[in-house]
Amino acid sequence: MQFNTLFKKEMLENWRNKKWIWVPLVIIILSIMDPITSYYLPQIMESVGGMPEGTTFELPEFLPAEVVTMTLGQLSSLGVLIIVLMSMGTIAGERKSGVSELVLVKPVSYKNYILAKWSSLLVLVWFSLALGILVSWYYINLLFGELSIVALLQIIFFYGLWMTLVVSLTIFYNTVFRSSGLVAFLTILTIMTMSILTQIFGTYLAWSPNNLSSYIFEAVLTESIPSELIGTSIVTIILSVGLLIGSFYIFRTKELAN
Amino acid sequence: MALIKVNNLSKRYGNKTAVNNVNFDFERGKCIALIGPNGAGKTTILRTLSGLLKPTSGTIQFADEKENSDIRPHIGYLPQYPSFYGWMTGREFLIFSGELAYLSKDEAKKRADELLKKIGISEGASNERISRYSGGMKQRLGIAQAIIHRPKLLILDEPVSSLDPIGRREVMTLMEELKNEMTILFSTHILSDADEISDELLLLHNGEIVESGSMDELRAKYQTSKIELAFENDLEEYKEKIDQLNIVSDSMIERGLLHVTASDISQARKAILETASQEDWPLTTFTINRASLEDMFMKVVNK
Amino acid sequence: MEEINWALIAPLLVIQAILMIVALVDLVKARDTNGPKWLWLIIILFVTTIGPIIYFIFGRRNR
Repeated sequence: MQFNTLFKKEMLENWRNKKWIWVPLVIIILSIMDPITSYYLPQIMESVGGMPEGTTFELPEFLPAEVVTMTLGQLSSLGVLIIVLMSMGTIAGERKSGVSELVLVKPVSYKNYILAKWSSLLVLVWFSLALGILVSWYYINLLFGELSIVALLQIIFFYGLWMTLVVSLTIFYNTVFRSSGLVAFLTILTIMTMSILTQIFGTYLAWSPNNLSSYIFEAVLTESIPSELIGTSIVTIILSVGLLIGSFYIFRTKELAN
Repeated sequence: MALIKVNNLSKRYGNKTAVNNVNFDFERGKCIALIGPNGAGKTTILRTLSGLLKPTSGTIQFADEKENSDIRPHIGYLPQYPSFYGWMTGREFLIFSGELAYLSKDEAKKRADELLKKIGISEGASNERISRYSGGMKQRLGIAQAIIHRPKLLILDEPVSSLDPIGRREVMTLMEELKNEMTILFSTHILSDADEISDELLLLHNGEIVESGSMDELRAKYQTSKIELAFENDLEEYKEKIDQLNIVSDSMIERGLLHVTASDISQARKAILETASQEDWPLTTFTINRASLEDMFMKVVNK
Repeated sequence: MEEINWALIAPLLVIQAILMIVALVDLVKARDTNGPKWLWLIIILFVTTIGPIIYFIFGRRNR
């Protein structure tokens, strides 16, 4: 019941501050940017000009799976940046402004407080992601060839896990630091470090969450689910839940006033 | 039985001691003022009582709860600079606060409307965003959110010091009313505020409680009144004469007045006036000055 | 560019327009913003997509 109160407050807040409008729209734009521009690449290059007369454009036809990867690439860079920026202050900001004092001096369970933040962000992120990938899927079917509904659902589900990890990381740093800028910086830094480590120690880190996109590509291409995708998903879920539990713990030991 | 009992409470930040070995307790139904200059540790004590800070050592015992248990259900707290969700309306915030304290939705609504009326926020204003509220309205809303769940103890941190005279009067009147319903513990650095509504005082200085007791007790203990005298001619001459009267504990000349302190003021008055009339002193001023709370505080702190 | 099928691109343009309008409405109704309002107006109007986004993230004052 208390969770409901906190969760409803988060949803109402994200509605009033218009996150429920702009985040889905931005994710849709990011998702369909690449399918549209790659389709029109020849025309775009032609109109930009600067090519010697008579050059013909021999662009490879893209496979639907390749375009999916482009979309996920956009979401993994700009998409992640936007999600981190929009959630960087969810707890840190409340502590900085002091409003968390009024909330947490009520008999509020810290677990409920964090859980409400986490789940309300996830609902928003998953909704935006599903919408973005759905529209991208529509364009891919129209412009590049058939992509099954099963593939669509797989992409949404497995890629959603990656975004869940991103949100969990942001929540984790939110419980540690009071400066939302620092939260955003450290979340991005962590994701980049993970990505570099995955590239360097690729053979040992086959189940690194950073590999989710490439396994999704494989899954869409081969129309089957590679075992690495399952393993990576499990690792991603464990990491997310671990970060969430870590957040509970840190928040409990932390003093809520400075 | 004491409502709250604080034992050897200390709070340190690194090397800095904010609160040092504080002990106090008080009964239900009282209004207690925590007085001290800025930086004395008032806010730290209140935040520790409300559970926002963890004591470095010591215990807090609330009524018959276990030591150091979560006493937030019984407490209402208003910080010195409360900040709200500016995007919520006042009414929404009260309902939200009530539900967090486990009131049902209907109860929370009923209680919110009841309190809005009590704190004098009109129906129109209660449906406006809090970001548009004035400082006084926010402070009153802050008190309302603190008492929405009918706590046994209401903790207010400097509830009036940031308000203009009108806002200050409104909040003082509200506190006066609430005194009948719950125990109030509030901090202030303005002694006259404490004098006006509190039953008991805790004087805090450098993180320690240096004196406590009811207003009357403290007055009786520290009140040494002063007699101020002025004469048409040289004060020194009369200072010597008065010193010889053997009733005076201290005398000094300052700003053209002879200040005489005595432990028994009525005896001193009698002796001085009798001598003055016998010897026909050219007296121009004779004033008895009761020590103010400020004087009392200075005395306690300097002892 | 006549080969371009505008029906394909229209949704993108519409979404960008909605984003801009929502940001503008929010800006006009806002009491104060982080930084001068007129600057945000220019950013929202002239920096497509990115303008409204950075307004929502950095320009809005929530408290």
